[in-house]
Amino acid sequence: MAIVQTQLLSKTFRSGIFRRSRVEALKNVSLDLERGEIFGLLGPNGAGKTTLVKILLSIVHQTSGEAKIFDKSLGSVAIRQKCGYLPENHRYPSFLSGIQTLLFFGRLHGLGGQMLRDKAQSLLQLVGLRDWASVKIKRYSKGMLQRLGMAQALLNDPELLFLDEPTDGVDPVGRKEIRDLLKDLKARGTTIFLNSHLLSEVEAISDRVAILHKGEVLKVGTVSEITAHHLEYEIRTDKPLSDGVAQAIRQIVRDVRPEGNILHVAVNAKSDLNRILDILRAEGMFIESMAPKRSSLEDYFIEVIRSGDAT
Amino acid sequence: MRSVAMAMLTIREAILRGTLLFYFAVGNIIIAIVAYAVGLSPDGSTIRVFGNPVVIKNVVDLNPVDFLLIQLFRSSNFAVMFLGVFAVAGLIPSMLEKGTVELYLSKPLSRPSLLLSRSLGATAGVALNILYFGIAIWLVFGIRVGVWHWKFLVACLLAAVAFTFYFSVVVFTGLVTRSQGFSIMLAFLFWFLSGALAGREFGLYRLWDNVIYHRVLDGLFYTTPQVSGMLENATRVIGNNPFDRMLGPHAVADFTIMPFVYSLLSATLIFALAARYFSKQDY
Repeated sequence: MAIVQTQLLSKTFRSGIFRRSRVEALKNVSLDLERGEIFGLLGPNGAGKTTLVKILLSIVHQTSGEAKIFDKSLGSVAIRQKCGYLPENHRYPSFLSGIQTLLFFGRLHGLGGQMLRDKAQSLLQLVGLRDWASVKIKRYSKGMLQRLGMAQALLNDPELLFLDEPTDGVDPVGRKEIRDLLKDLKARGTTIFLNSHLLSEVEAISDRVAILHKGEVLKVGTVSEITAHHLEYEIRTDKPLSDGVAQAIRQIVRDVRPEGNILHVAVNAKSDLNRILDILRAEGMFIESMAPKRSSLEDYFIEVIRSGDAT
Repeated sequence: MRSVAMAMLTIREAILRGTLLFYFAVGNIIIAIVAYAVGLSPDGSTIRVFGNPVVIKNVVDLNPVDFLLIQLFRSSNFAVMFLGVFAVAGLIPSMLEKGTVELYLSKPLSRPSLLLSRSLGATAGVALNILYFGIAIWLVFGIRVGVWHWKFLVACLLAAVAFTFYFSVVVFTGLVTRSQGFSIMLAFLFWFLSGALAGREFGLYRLWDNVIYHRVLDGLFYTTPQVSGMLENATRVIGNNPFDRMLGPHAVADFTIMPFVYSLLSATLIFALAARYFSKQDY
């Protein structure tokens, strides 16, 4: 069941005298988020990632299109009761300590009493700030503020968590801890909408990703789906290919590139694979593995963005 | 619960910004000066200020305590409003700063509630200061002169109410300009406009003898908080205003609640406009 649904969502910002200057931040974005998944939204700076999240949280109003969260139209306070949000470049009242910050934002969620105090303490423990609980946050580093932001976003045990660049400014150990935390939240059924330009991070934890560029969704799918090359395979054999065998295979397929024990082939149809395997077996070669060729998410992302720029 | 949390944070923010503390400090200096200056003569028959007996010229039937409290109330009105606006005008723009407003708007609190609780927190900080000042002056007169002037406390309460209504203008300008400086400037511009509108028959009407222009001025007068009218009537609660009497018998007026009623309605209208504006904005 889709927990977030957007249909042809568009946003145009207007500015300047008489509001003549227009920036199309989002163009007809249609996306669905399934309950319990980690959904990564990728895009270069200015792609519209933050605008999309802000629209879903009613911080920014869409120009056209529709969106629903928990099957309710945007703007409902009840939606925000079930959501957590870690904005990019968040600013907390600097005169509060870590624990006071969490108590304040907990109260904004309608929480209170000993339950809130216990929750705030356990979250500070979870994000590694327990020893800093009573320290004014103006003394916190960027990474510590990010951890505090994560704790703030989890105060209401959200069903849907929006994270905008959650590991920004966090050291590698902290990043690993945040990734583990997100996996743990997913295991407990939390749906996570992750905005990031750190591709390896998104690749490591997302169930599905979308690539957003200049306000348009260029691609949506699982990481393996979108990084798989169409009809390109890698065949690993027990010994290197002879020239004769390579020549025989070239009669069948459009491209063959032997690299030691690995044969890269681009076939015209999947049935060509059986014929290639037959040739290899006839030569007495042992097939150790065969798999669709994949590129890294980063390679694919750059390729998609460049093709998006070209069109 | 949510609104109380926001209002409490706002009061705390105002105190820690230092401006409200400055306001509090100025109030304490005035209280200390009054406590030092006001007293009775050795035989207890006359009230003295800095050792000199109080002399009320041109007004024969005015109580010296009323006279002193009216003078004090009138002269501190401007400081109360000026410093009050200065102390808390930045609280609305600070709520709208990038990185802060997103956090607040993502919480389960409607935008009008958020704005209202922020505004109430800001006005509460100033109102508490006004009441503190009023109670302290009341105690000084009670202890030093032996007069427990309850009406002065009521006047201070009305001044706090007047500030609350006036603050609706600061909220609106703070939302639109998102700047503390502009917000303060426009608030003071409005202060002078309010005074000019209150005395429009003697000033603004004479600039242009046109019925439509006069009706526009009337409309502005009734649809904006009547700051000077509220403070003038708060003064009348203390006693017969000597300044009214100096203008002649025709100028003497009794206390009327109407400036407060009109200001309540106009402040509600301005706040509703501000809430609507806030609800429509992208942050």
